[in-house]
Amino acid sequence: MSAIVNEHDSAGLWTLAWRRLREDRIAMAALAVVAAFLVMLILSATGLVAADWEDEVGVNYAPPTFVGASAATLAAAGEAAPVPDNPFDPLAADIRALQGQGAATAAPRRATLPFGADKWGHDILRKTIRGGETSIIVGLVAALVAVGLGTLFGAISGFFGGIVDDLFNWFYSVFTSIPSILMILTVAAVLQQKGVLTIVLILGLTGWTGPYRLIRAEYMRHKAREYVLAADAIGASSWRKMFAHIFPNVSHVALVQLSILAVGFIKAEVILSFLGFGVPVGVVSWGSMLNEAQNELLLGKWWQLTAAAVAMAVLVTAFSLLADALRDALDPKVK
Amino acid sequence: MMAALLEVRDLRIAFRVDKRTTFEAVKGISFTVPQDATVALVGESGSGKSVSSLAIMGLLPKGTTSIDPAGSVLFDGRDVLHLPEAERRALCGRDIAMIFQEPMSSLNPVFTVGYQIGEVLRRHMGMNRREARARTLALLDEVGIPDPQAKIDAYPSQMSGGQQQRVMIAMALACEPKLLIADEPTTALDVTIQKQIMALLAALRRKRRMSVLFITHDLGLVGEIADEVIVMRHGEIRETGPVRRIFSEPQDNYTRALLHCRPPLDARPWRLPVIADYMGGQVEANPRQRERGYAPDDDIVLDVRNLKKSFWVNDGLFGKREFQAVKDVSFRLARGKTLGVVGESGSGKSTMGLTLLRLHEATAGSALFEGTDLLALSKRDYHPYKRRIQIIFQNPYASLNPRFTVGQILLEPMRLHGIGADDRERVALAQALLERVGLPPVAYHRYPHEFSGGQRQRIAIARCLTMKPEILVCDESVSALDVSVQAQVLNLLQELQDEYGLSYIFISHDLAVVKYISDQVMVMNKGEVVEIGDADELYRNPRHPYTRTLLGAIPRSPDVNVESRC
Amino acid sequence: MPAFILRRLWQMLPTMLGVVLLVFLLFNWVGGDPAYILAGKMSSPEAIANIRRQLGVDEPYYVQLGIFLKQIVTFDFGQSWATGEPVGQVIATRLGPSLTVLVPMTVLETLIGVALALAVAFVRGSLTDRAVMVACTVGMSVSILVYIIVFQYGLAYRLGLFPVQGWGDNFADNLLRYAPLPILIGLAVSIAPTLRLYRSFVLDEVNQDYVRTARAKGLPERRVLWVHVLRNAAIPIITHVMANLPALLIGAFLLERFFGIPGIGREVILAVERSDFPVIKAVTVYVAAATMVFNLLADLLYQAVDPRVQLS
Repeated sequence: MSAIVNEHDSAGLWTLAWRRLREDRIAMAALAVVAAFLVMLILSATGLVAADWEDEVGVNYAPPTFVGASAATLAAAGEAAPVPDNPFDPLAADIRALQGQGAATAAPRRATLPFGADKWGHDILRKTIRGGETSIIVGLVAALVAVGLGTLFGAISGFFGGIVDDLFNWFYSVFTSIPSILMILTVAAVLQQKGVLTIVLILGLTGWTGPYRLIRAEYMRHKAREYVLAADAIGASSWRKMFAHIFPNVSHVALVQLSILAVGFIKAEVILSFLGFGVPVGVVSWGSMLNEAQNELLLGKWWQLTAAAVAMAVLVTAFSLLADALRDALDPKVK
Repeated sequence: MMAALLEVRDLRIAFRVDKRTTFEAVKGISFTVPQDATVALVGESGSGKSVSSLAIMGLLPKGTTSIDPAGSVLFDGRDVLHLPEAERRALCGRDIAMIFQEPMSSLNPVFTVGYQIGEVLRRHMGMNRREARARTLALLDEVGIPDPQAKIDAYPSQMSGGQQQRVMIAMALACEPKLLIADEPTTALDVTIQKQIMALLAALRRKRRMSVLFITHDLGLVGEIADEVIVMRHGEIRETGPVRRIFSEPQDNYTRALLHCRPPLDARPWRLPVIADYMGGQVEANPRQRERGYAPDDDIVLDVRNLKKSFWVNDGLFGKREFQAVKDVSFRLARGKTLGVVGESGSGKSTMGLTLLRLHEATAGSALFEGTDLLALSKRDYHPYKRRIQIIFQNPYASLNPRFTVGQILLEPMRLHGIGADDRERVALAQALLERVGLPPVAYHRYPHEFSGGQRQRIAIARCLTMKPEILVCDESVSALDVSVQAQVLNLLQELQDEYGLSYIFISHDLAVVKYISDQVMVMNKGEVVEIGDADELYRNPRHPYTRTLLGAIPRSPDVNVESRC
Repeated sequence: MPAFILRRLWQMLPTMLGVVLLVFLLFNWVGGDPAYILAGKMSSPEAIANIRRQLGVDEPYYVQLGIFLKQIVTFDFGQSWATGEPVGQVIATRLGPSLTVLVPMTVLETLIGVALALAVAFVRGSLTDRAVMVACTVGMSVSILVYIIVFQYGLAYRLGLFPVQGWGDNFADNLLRYAPLPILIGLAVSIAPTLRLYRSFVLDEVNQDYVRTARAKGLPERRVLWVHVLRNAAIPIITHVMANLPALLIGAFLLERFFGIPGIGREVILAVERSDFPVIKAVTVYVAAATMVFNLLADLLYQAVDPRVQLS
């Protein structure tokens, strides 16, 4: 009774999910925002944008252009008031010579920048972009590691059961008995060395437990399903059942986990960098920006805080909305 | 001429599926339920029968449902559809009550049985706690719950399915309703329990002089209890009338089809009639009958001896308790014939089938196939035998991998067993099989979710046929299908047996279907074989008391039992 | 029941051993030689060897493991490398302030979360529901750091409604003067994820068959939600709260640090900054043990609250 339709009109899971996603306007907006951030990331990583974030182009604490320069910064940007000569200074002649050299090459510092400057005169806008690159890369790569490990362990554990399952479960209980933040801090304390790779490894190696539990439960559920029994009756091997049969039915769970974890890890990296356990000194991330912003606020300089907070909020909101919409599109339930 | 208790006029219900599509579930139906009578509303899935009853009670989801305001549902003169919320709620649970199909999930698991029944009493009748408890005890006794004093404080999970349904009935009857709506109340229950519940409903109805609207997909079930029958299909009413006339002289083709698509107990036509036959008017008046039974010179293809399967459950601190699912089963399957295995839930029949295919490892026993004990072989040695004994599962929605196209599903076994020289040959074979099972060639590229239940079972059959098996285990393969679709699949299975000489082990709880398709029948209860013998002989003269109870629970048509109707 | 508890305690042993092993591996093997950290930059080889001997790190690994196990069993982890205070005392004294903030916060968060979740479930599918969910997502996207910085600056520094930082001596003073702002911030941060989670628990129940039965009985929607659904949704909610309690102890570390509250979380941060291994080791082991015990309690509570589950 079904109508005869075009041969290749048939839609699999991903096509159907994409169609559902397309209908959701908020999800599409979120996707656009995330895509924009990713484009920015690529531009930054390849050095096309914000490569010169370390240049001190503004005066210290230069306010944003839309606020206008304050008297103090204007004065600092302009010609520095000449220091009165000190006849007793033995180095006076040498300093004058050096100043002559420097003046030729130093560019004038600006009184205002698009979104202000920090304590050393770095452009906040460029810092935000660069910081975003660090935070997002850490978040995404760590999420990939965590979901990769968790999925592999969960699949093996859920499918084979028995002693293999007991072993992995033991690992799981050991890791989850220690609250993750404590775990992260402990490893940070012990490793004594900072770096983006370190954070990625710490977050990834401690974050596999969430995906593990979910994927394991999914594998255990699917293993008992009739299509797997049918595959068994046909004569499929264990590996074939695990990867060719069950995995395509479970991959959407892994994908949703990836997006959820990425969000969580971006937030975690920010906190870690804020505390000083994250990125090393030369690298900027949103966390290090918030760290500096803390003291700046007392001086009334709010722009670094706002830039980092807003950029992060926008990305995390968009990513979270996307993750939710993705989950609903892949596994629609009656609301 | 008594006034109608419930009068439904031009009821029209549509559902919003997504932003663009609406689905008309009920297309303007009108019927009446008189006082002090049982009306059966019969239809297959998608007929709109449940939706209509839920609309009467106001239980359809408000956001996605639209009920045409031109229609009305008059209960005792008042239009229920257009009542304000509060007044309608006062009516429901008191004057109109409803019981549902799945008693386990329909009862709140965290409250005691007594609390839930008492809730209606306190709310609608204004009783205090003590009065409610006394009345609840009386009700539990009335519905046949043994030891009401203990059960009143029990939780639903501590009761059997039949007892849970009795509790639901007690809850529905607590406030002396004038109308009881029963939505498939026995579908989820074993056939012996079903009989008890039906008798209980009939007795209660008579005693309280209330009306019952009994909704079911099984036309054969209502012969014993209904006064009037309404037949629905695709949201419309096909026929209404007194029950005896419906059974003896149905006017509508669809009604006729519903009546006759079920395998009859007293005949065995060569082929079951399907809906298409009736709708097209092409029905054989005197169909050729099929003879069944094992012949003495039959070749025995499978000889099972003392099959045993146990599961071990954690018990106490370190111990394990043995649960014997299959205790000691022996039988012989003749080539080209069908062995029917019948039993209620928990009888172990499905476990036995799975164990034969080595999907469970047998605890003891042997299964001799061409002289080799299949159960004793190592996994590797058993592999080549897999293609020769196959299985079709019950749930058509779970037995096909949702991420594979039909083509991939059919090609996989051929690739695994090296059937066909190359992929091109395999594709051709798959296409031929699709045609053989009655599916269009485009099905090859489709995904399972685009097919109906009956079509998916055909795909599952085609998958088995790719390996040209000799033995096919049908584990409740038609139980989840509508009656009309069931007939089609049974016919297909029979054709394949006639053509290829396949031997079937047909497992089911449906006694009529088993009798129709089997040459020999084996009755199982709690893991043991209770009786085994020739199909016709066993149904005519059952020897074991359990078999007799089982066969006695089959619902009869109205002509047979005049007295028990009320 | 006793058999169940015994079996669970028995099952906890391998996990506890695993935690001990993990901590030991991290600190004694990966963690490098603490002697240098303790001795400072300019010390003689004798001083370093002396410290090594005192700490016992010049012994083979299995001996060190033995020492560690003994420490755990006797609750004596020695002294903090930074302050010299006995580790046991450090933990004991810091527990009080942590709980003073955490207990009111958890109670309030659960109550408000449940009430809001039910209210939102009442209007599920509507525009309000969607708006609230989006608001939650936005609320969760702002880092807790921003909340703390802004609230502390705005409410305490500028408006003077609360003290900016600090902790007092007596309990009433702490609870009523110093704790409110941290509690408020903690609530602001945790309401959104809690609401989302509880809402999903409630919605899972609202679609069940027994809700349809309750409506068929003519019960008003309010009763259906607040009595029938809540009672069922309470099960996952309770177990969630119970299982997360130990993690909360550490989780409030940011609040403690910003507000100068002498709690366990802040102690851990300080210990990490100063490479104060004994404190970190002790806290990790105790928190792990507490987590396992609370998980067991959560399971027992689950059995008590859900009649479907049989103790086995």
